[in-house]
Amino acid sequence: MAHAGADNPIPPGSAPRRMSSGMRLLLGNEFGLAVLILLTVAVFALTLDGFTSPFSIYTIGRQIGIDTMIGLAMMAVIVTGGLDLSVGAIGVCSAMLFGWLMQVMGVPVPVAVPVAVLFGASLGFVNGFTVVMSGVHSFIITLASMSIFFGVMIFLTRAAAFNGLPPQVQAFGKMRVLPGISPLLLIAVAVCAALVVFYRYSTLGRQMLAAGANARAAELSGIRTGRVIVACHMLTGLLAAIAGLMVTARTGAAVPSMAGQLGQDWLLPAFLAPVLGGTLLSGGRVSVIGTLLGATFINIMTSGLLLMRVGEFWILAFLGVMLLIAVLADRTRQVFLTSRGMI
Amino acid sequence: MAATRDSALTRAFDNDWIGPGLVSLIAVVAISLAQPAFLSPFNIFVLMSAISVNMVIALGQLVIIGLGQMNLALGSIGGLVAISFVGVIERYGIPVPLALAFALGIGIAAGMSGGYIIARTMISAFIITLAGLQIFKGINLGITEAQPFYGVPEAVKAFGQASVIGPLPWLMVPMMICSVAMWYLFNRMRIGRHILAMGSNPHAAELSGIDANATIIWAHGISGLLAAIAGLMLVARLQIGQPTIGDDWLISSFAAPVIGGAVLTGGRVSVAGTFFGVVIIAIITQGLVMFNIDPFVVQIVLGALILWAVAVNRLREMRIARVQARGAGA
Amino acid sequence: MTALQVSHVSKSFPGVRALQDVSMTMTAGSVHALLGENGAGKSTLIKIVTGICKPDSGTVSLNGAAVRFANPRQAAAGGLGVVHQERNLVTRFSVGENILLDRLGKRALSLVDYTSLHREAEKWLKLLDLDVDPRTIVSRLSVAQMQLVEIGKALSLQSRVLLLDEPTASLTPNESTVLFRILRRLRDDGVAIGFVSHKLEEVFDICDRVTVLRDGRNACDSAGLSQLSRDDVVRMMIGRAERITTRAPRPKTDAAPYLELRGYASGAGHRDISLTVRPGEIVGLYGLVGAGRSELARAILGLSKQIAGEVRVLGRAVHISSVAQALHDHGIGYVSEDRKAEGLILMHSVLANGGITIWRKLANALGLLRDTTIAARVGPVLRRLEVKTPSVHQIIGNLSGGNQQKVSVAKWLAAGVRLLIIDEPSVGIDIKTKAYLHDLIHELAEQGTAILLITSDMPEMIDVADRILVMDGYRIKGEVENDRSYDPVSRAIMGLIHEKAAA
Repeated sequence: MAHAGADNPIPPGSAPRRMSSGMRLLLGNEFGLAVLILLTVAVFALTLDGFTSPFSIYTIGRQIGIDTMIGLAMMAVIVTGGLDLSVGAIGVCSAMLFGWLMQVMGVPVPVAVPVAVLFGASLGFVNGFTVVMSGVHSFIITLASMSIFFGVMIFLTRAAAFNGLPPQVQAFGKMRVLPGISPLLLIAVAVCAALVVFYRYSTLGRQMLAAGANARAAELSGIRTGRVIVACHMLTGLLAAIAGLMVTARTGAAVPSMAGQLGQDWLLPAFLAPVLGGTLLSGGRVSVIGTLLGATFINIMTSGLLLMRVGEFWILAFLGVMLLIAVLADRTRQVFLTSRGMI
Repeated sequence: MAATRDSALTRAFDNDWIGPGLVSLIAVVAISLAQPAFLSPFNIFVLMSAISVNMVIALGQLVIIGLGQMNLALGSIGGLVAISFVGVIERYGIPVPLALAFALGIGIAAGMSGGYIIARTMISAFIITLAGLQIFKGINLGITEAQPFYGVPEAVKAFGQASVIGPLPWLMVPMMICSVAMWYLFNRMRIGRHILAMGSNPHAAELSGIDANATIIWAHGISGLLAAIAGLMLVARLQIGQPTIGDDWLISSFAAPVIGGAVLTGGRVSVAGTFFGVVIIAIITQGLVMFNIDPFVVQIVLGALILWAVAVNRLREMRIARVQARGAGA
Repeated sequence: MTALQVSHVSKSFPGVRALQDVSMTMTAGSVHALLGENGAGKSTLIKIVTGICKPDSGTVSLNGAAVRFANPRQAAAGGLGVVHQERNLVTRFSVGENILLDRLGKRALSLVDYTSLHREAEKWLKLLDLDVDPRTIVSRLSVAQMQLVEIGKALSLQSRVLLLDEPTASLTPNESTVLFRILRRLRDDGVAIGFVSHKLEEVFDICDRVTVLRDGRNACDSAGLSQLSRDDVVRMMIGRAERITTRAPRPKTDAAPYLELRGYASGAGHRDISLTVRPGEIVGLYGLVGAGRSELARAILGLSKQIAGEVRVLGRAVHISSVAQALHDHGIGYVSEDRKAEGLILMHSVLANGGITIWRKLANALGLLRDTTIAARVGPVLRRLEVKTPSVHQIIGNLSGGNQQKVSVAKWLAAGVRLLIIDEPSVGIDIKTKAYLHDLIHELAEQGTAILLITSDMPEMIDVADRILVMDGYRIKGEVENDRSYDPVSRAIMGLIHEKAAA
């Protein structure tokens, strides 16, 4: 085919394609979110009494840590263009195992933590393996597994909580590392850092992104996409388990209802944080920092609204509206950038 | 160029409801032999009431599955409709027929608004209905503050408790009307055919001149209406306006259609198959109770049933594809 | 009478001028062939006519009135019926319902009157001599029957202009004969028929006029076919006069084969395939669309099951079950013909695409690797291939087709593969890059890489390959030694393909 100007592979009139990295940053989700967070914090801090109290900052931060972990868990599987409805169930199951190990079996905390986390990963493996082997969409597989995981857990625990955990667990949940900072938030930040490195510098992380963006091309480039997808589900299970343990530490007990019926209560934060942060639902692109910022934004809004005496139930509806706005804004942004040839 | 002919066996295999129908029959016979109380009038009444409500819920999901999408907001629409119905009667003393129309209107509007956003933006139905789930549930709890409305009119209460003849509850009547209507919709009505056409081959459907947006909005509107009907039936059955109505619909609303042979990628649904799917779930649930087995096991069984049904459907699809490949090659 | 007129249409996509001042006039009661090589602009022209994309300049008029359809639906409603290469039917619905899918009822909740619907559909089936009950479910039809149903569907919209895109691609000769009989009858009834095909004998059999596109321009505009010979048409399609082969034949190599297939059969349908590719040798694999060439490449990579015969790499019998194994254990790489869907990950960077094959190799003990490590390996290859990109971090979807293609070759060179299977290397890229790629293939062969080249571009094949294997119907029909003399070699190749038809 004739070329407009073979010497110049970038045809004239497409200047925006050479967008500077600064421009990219400004148009990115993370930057927008960060600005939004700063503005919201500024407005709330000036108008709401108690928003900046040490206690408020502490509890917001702790909840940000938990929501970030839940969001990262879902993000890890959204990478493939799939999803995992069972994140909540996996989180609760791991937390209950954690509680059982310590309270009934007398296992010390440092042993119980890795066992519970690996248990979460193995539940994720069950999901991933079934998805890859059956070729059925992860929605229906994880819908079934969420029912099974949760059902088995309730059956085994008789729906009873483990209240007699070692005191260190609760102490950890109430601990303040620096004034106003919960260790749970620090864990989330550390996991974020690890995931940034993972997606950027590890073979497996890169392979996950490649398989998620274009599974056929990845397969034809010598990536075993089946294994990679199973690995994504395992990572989801692992992160969900960490989130479950964090909730256990905050409550000081492993409670079967901590994520609602079947763990469904986790679904909204699980999708809201990554979507707000700019992770593509169709796969192939993640934003770890965006997920952290997304979780931050949600919690700041929530606590602000609570201080404004908006009923906590109405906040649920508000979060739903937020999800809607986030996906609509993302779609608008994509249409805009595509029309300008920027992506 | 003769079209391929299939054996009667293959056709039966291709039929969506025969399998689940047989399983239901065997389950009924087996359980009633082991536990004669299973067929007591009271038990049949309870069983049929549960089947009636769950069938309407399943139909609400079935219409969206036919389109190749999913509706996570089904339960939250049902719940919102239920408390709105009782709420307007209790607080404002609105007459029942008017309240009924109002409540159904909410269901349709809630469904259609989700459908509108999906159709216009082409964002996945999953995420839009997840947002819908949260919004409707939040409004529900915001209104009720998680406390039930008790002002259910006597006529409605009576409807939920009365039987038509013998052990058959009145609740079966709306269920049967909905089932027949949905059968007509999928097999005889333009909109139903268009929904299935979109579900099986969206590209071909659009090239054929089907209005994709209108079809999606209709499907979600119908889904919302069915969720509303199911919500109202539950009000009648439970005798109060519970804010928790709809919380546990998600799994069973998918399980029954899938057991009934529906393909989740769309275009293939069976009303009769879904009915037997609902029956199987109800019998198992009831059977577990009768044999004093932990009711928590139901959850596990439901999940396993979905996986089993998905596997069966998958095998059947592969088989049909093979038969077709042979037919085309001949 | 003029039915469809395309006048001076031009269309550019980013980086490529797809059509330049193209015209075509289709008249009622005539079958009009639209010919051209892959990438000549046929599909773009059809897209413009049917409203899938808009022309930059020029006009399309239907029955004398200028039209600008916004989408294929409008085009259909406007009386322009198109039968695409892929089937567009709802296979679970009946034949009749498919034909009249947009006319099932006035309102959404209208009941469908199947009796009258099937009666109406029967009319169109009769017109096509299709002896099928309109109540038959489409999935029970043969592919040929499905195609006729689509033609019926187009006609039922009162279309007087019918475009058929490669209608015989998946038909048996008998089925094609039936189709042609029907097309002739429609032509005699005054329908204007556009016919896109790769098979010249069919074109000469049924068409009376021809428009040939080459490199996005008219090589001829609506000429009468009776005055043209087969050679004339071929010359217009490939424009041989402009492309004189300059390369001398390369000396034969007698190195031990790198890859050898013996009596190989695959799950994809290949039977009795035997071939060898030696280090430093360029083996061409020629065949028409659907001959099973790309499928053979995929089978070698382990994407289809091996069901018989032997695969040997460097003389050792192997069993390849995944691309990962082909690449990492046996040094085999594959440049896909479908760059956008399978060759590249368009939303990722140049570096990510170029380095994807060597991530595993470059990672340290912890499985970690840095961009600089990858860039150190991929960078020289990108520079060697003269990939033009503002930076290696540029999203590859923003590069021109030619540069994208270079990257999809570069990733295999970075991996240092010993056998490279290249599938249709010059689809959608400019002439200069094409020539560059040909030089590159030669250079690679000189350095000892074994190359299996798949192309349906005859001049490219004759210019690049050392010897040419001819494939048809998932079998190897024979081999032609390439001495770079165009006419004898192309005649020999066509002879091998048509052996079947003659037999």
